[in-house]
Amino acid sequence: MDGCRSGVPTYEGDLHVVAAAHHIVKALGATKNLSDDLRKILIDLDSHLSMITSNIDSKGGRGLVDVEERLDQAERKIMRWETDPMMIWDSGPKEASDYLEAVDETGKLVDGLRGLSVHENRKQKEILHRAMNIFQTAMSRLEEELIHILVRHGQQFEPKNMYSRSIRKDIVYDESFVSVEDEPTKETSSQNCSNDESGECIVDLVHADVIPDIKSIAKVMFTSNYGPEFCEAFISVQKEALEQYFSFLGTEYLSIEDVLKMEWTCLSSKMNKWTWSMKIIVRVYLASEKQLCDQVLGGLGSVSSYCFLEISKATILCLLNFGEAVAMGPHRPEKLLRLLDMYETLADLLRDIDTLFSEEAGSFIQLQFHELLERLGESAIAAFKAFRVAISSNGSLYPFAGGGVHPLNKYVMNYIRMFPEYWNTLNLLLKNQHPGVADQVTKPDYGPDTSLLTSCPMAYHLRSITSCLESNLHKKSQLYKDEALQHIFLMNNIHYLVQKVKGSELRLFFGDEWIRKHNAMFQQHAMNYERATWSSVVSFLKDNNPGSSSMSKSTFKERCKGFSIAFEEVYKTQTSWSIPDPQLREDLRISTSLKVVLAYRTFLGRNLAYTDDKCVKHTVEHVENSLLDLFGGSSRSLRNSRRW
Amino acid sequence: MTGTDQSSFLGRISIRRNQVNAMEGYHEQEIEDLELFQKQLSDRFAELLSAPDDGPTEAFLSISWIRKLVDVFLCCETECKAILLMERDAAQISKPPLDRLIPELLERVVKAMDICNAVTNGLELVRHCQKLAEIAVSALEQKPFGEGQARRAKKALVSLMSAMHVDDKESSVQKTAERSWSFGRRSGNKDRHHGHYRSLSWQVAKHWSASKQIHAMTMNLAAPRGPEASCLPAPVYILSLIIVFVMWVLIAAIPCQERSGLTTHLPINKHVNWTHSLASIHDKIGEEWKKKEKKGMAGLLYEMQKMEKLGQSLIEFTDSYQFPGEKEKLDEVAAQVAELAEVCRRMDEGLVPLQMLIREAFHRLVRNRTEFLDVLEQGGPVV
Repeated sequence: MDGCRSGVPTYEGDLHVVAAAHHIVKALGATKNLSDDLRKILIDLDSHLSMITSNIDSKGGRGLVDVEERLDQAERKIMRWETDPMMIWDSGPKEASDYLEAVDETGKLVDGLRGLSVHENRKQKEILHRAMNIFQTAMSRLEEELIHILVRHGQQFEPKNMYSRSIRKDIVYDESFVSVEDEPTKETSSQNCSNDESGECIVDLVHADVIPDIKSIAKVMFTSNYGPEFCEAFISVQKEALEQYFSFLGTEYLSIEDVLKMEWTCLSSKMNKWTWSMKIIVRVYLASEKQLCDQVLGGLGSVSSYCFLEISKATILCLLNFGEAVAMGPHRPEKLLRLLDMYETLADLLRDIDTLFSEEAGSFIQLQFHELLERLGESAIAAFKAFRVAISSNGSLYPFAGGGVHPLNKYVMNYIRMFPEYWNTLNLLLKNQHPGVADQVTKPDYGPDTSLLTSCPMAYHLRSITSCLESNLHKKSQLYKDEALQHIFLMNNIHYLVQKVKGSELRLFFGDEWIRKHNAMFQQHAMNYERATWSSVVSFLKDNNPGSSSMSKSTFKERCKGFSIAFEEVYKTQTSWSIPDPQLREDLRISTSLKVVLAYRTFLGRNLAYTDDKCVKHTVEHVENSLLDLFGGSSRSLRNSRRW
Repeated sequence: MTGTDQSSFLGRISIRRNQVNAMEGYHEQEIEDLELFQKQLSDRFAELLSAPDDGPTEAFLSISWIRKLVDVFLCCETECKAILLMERDAAQISKPPLDRLIPELLERVVKAMDICNAVTNGLELVRHCQKLAEIAVSALEQKPFGEGQARRAKKALVSLMSAMHVDDKESSVQKTAERSWSFGRRSGNKDRHHGHYRSLSWQVAKHWSASKQIHAMTMNLAAPRGPEASCLPAPVYILSLIIVFVMWVLIAAIPCQERSGLTTHLPINKHVNWTHSLASIHDKIGEEWKKKEKKGMAGLLYEMQKMEKLGQSLIEFTDSYQFPGEKEKLDEVAAQVAELAEVCRRMDEGLVPLQMLIREAFHRLVRNRTEFLDVLEQGGPVV
């Protein structure tokens, strides 16, 4: 712009030329979509031309006096706020725009004076420095106003409006595998599903009304080369607001050492919280922050994404570090579901992250996310393996009292009942994992019409898990000395297994064939039980000579006695056994009844002649009724409770 | 310390282990490997020690020097792990005294991870300082220069100084955690806005202390003696010492949470050759730390020290500056500004890569720990 520096024009023609040029520059300046550089040039040119105009107007010497007057005016407007306890933007839009006008005027004067030849007189230099001084005061003030506006109009939003705490139909399954001897935790299906999970929700982190104010401050500061000051102030306030929000969510700063030492229940709730906070921070908070940055700083090149990165980096890294710590911790089976939650959350957020940090400087953050995702996946697989190992190696020294459903069985089945929820993720993670030795056992020989679900990787692994479980249960059944109780135990447990599969989405993965097979299995155990218990008892009632009409009285007495003793013995032991499932208990009683009562009735009927004898200790009805007491879980005795 | 050096070293170990399956001669080979490794270590630390105290490139404790140090750390880590784990099984590394030494090593590794994160946070503060210094430089470079620009520079420099002298004690972190924005000049404090960098994310965790971590890491860190000095306990000691040493240097150089009481003593065995240069570096930094600790400072990072000195001098200048200023003084200041600009340029070049490198070190430590645990748990050799 050296051409403009030609001093002060002296005749009318020049005045017209300058006025016309000024007009054109103004028109050009109003154009939208100008590049930053071009806009800057036009602004420079504009102030330059107005300076020339003022000089022409003033006919030589009067020019500086005029400039000084303008400066005095602007100075008054700017300096009066230095003693005013109020903030300008709080005082009203008029005050704010007046102030900005004064700043604009000062800026023009500075630029114009600077543009004039350096050989000008001392007076001119003095005015320039005074103007620059005033300008600095104004810029410093704008920075302060900016911080004030951001803080005063910063808005916190309630996370509850965004995502409910438990997005999936959740089960509080925080029990550690070691405590498997206890009852599994209650299931709370808090299905208060909220917003559409993928729904973008952007909130105003700063009240929408003040966005134009912030923009106007940004505009002035950036065109005056005070951009770095704007950025530092903006970043500082927004960064702190994010950290405050982070604490507001109840997320703590934890060292890796802390996480590694944490007890499971505590860790589990932290993992839960992480999943939740991560979603809110990335999908709501950061998305909103990004929008704010773009609104305020859009059109300034990479400034917006630079500020966004600086604001969010520390908090993001803190969240990632917790994930890293969890992933590197011991791979306990109970961690699996929480790990899968974290994995899914992260996988789900990757697209958001890639968009938020699409600029080159943000690739570092992107990379960290991808690394953590991989690590969580590995950790989940390790926990999955640990789960199976824990099932196979869960040993017992003593038989499980009563032959009911073993806690291990309950734990495992209730746990894997959750797996279908993680179907896609588990399939992805387990794709290249071989179930191992159990593979042969579980390979299904289904027909060609089996659904895809029964042959997906997760289905293989599920069946491999239950077959581990079954073989462990078989091992546990060997602890019973009584063969009949072994069968009761296996019947109960396999029945439970089947019920759990049938009663949940697991059935889709196990398939009808598996269910049929296992139904047959527990029925077989029921039959084996009957044979083991009742064959010998009923054998007393068997007619050795089907041809002859009746037996001798002494034989009858002996058989009767034998039967009573055996029956009482069975009654005493088997009332303490348990079949927790009422239907199964009922079925077994009926089928036992059919066998025993029928045999007894026939036996007594054949030997009607002796039935009035004292040797018939139990009537048919007594036997029938007594059978109802079996498998109640508490031992009773027929001899003691004799009210027959 | 080039990449080829390292790969040839690793190749050597691997080939060796494969060839010498038979037990005879195995131990001798191991001793030889260990000696070669120590020789390389010695060279690397000697090179680090030879860095000039001052100068345009790679000054002692400069960003580029620290990057080199972390590079050395990464190389050592890989090689040490190779010596310890390659072609071995759990039985070899789980018998006494290794059954104690390896878990202790892994505990140090975990602490080192937290330190890496603390330092990453600290580098954010350094970057913040860089930005403020850049503002000062651009103000001071303005032509024509006047009081307005002097005030602009001063404002940035005062913020810079206060950011630098951030008190790394936790109490102050918590104090500022309560919102400090209700301020302002309106409540009489004109120069408030600095210091707001002492934010929450500065923390690793509540009550976490870098100096305590170092202290804990040095516990039980003793050089193996007698026959142990030439077999497996030796690389465990070397790796432990290097981890502690490098973390100690990072803490001394880069601001991070709670450094007061940072020990200046590390249990370095000075009776073996390879530690000579390392011990000298340690002494040199230890001395420097003792001198500066009292003042409460941003750390020994060369660029920060330089920035502090220049910043102070430039604040004095801007304080007393009156238009138009003396020519002589202005020339002197111009030189300082150029120097500060150069420091900013080096920070601009080096800080982000350093931050990434430290993150890489973090990830390396994570993997390293996993590998050790895998060998210990599964009992299988590392392939």
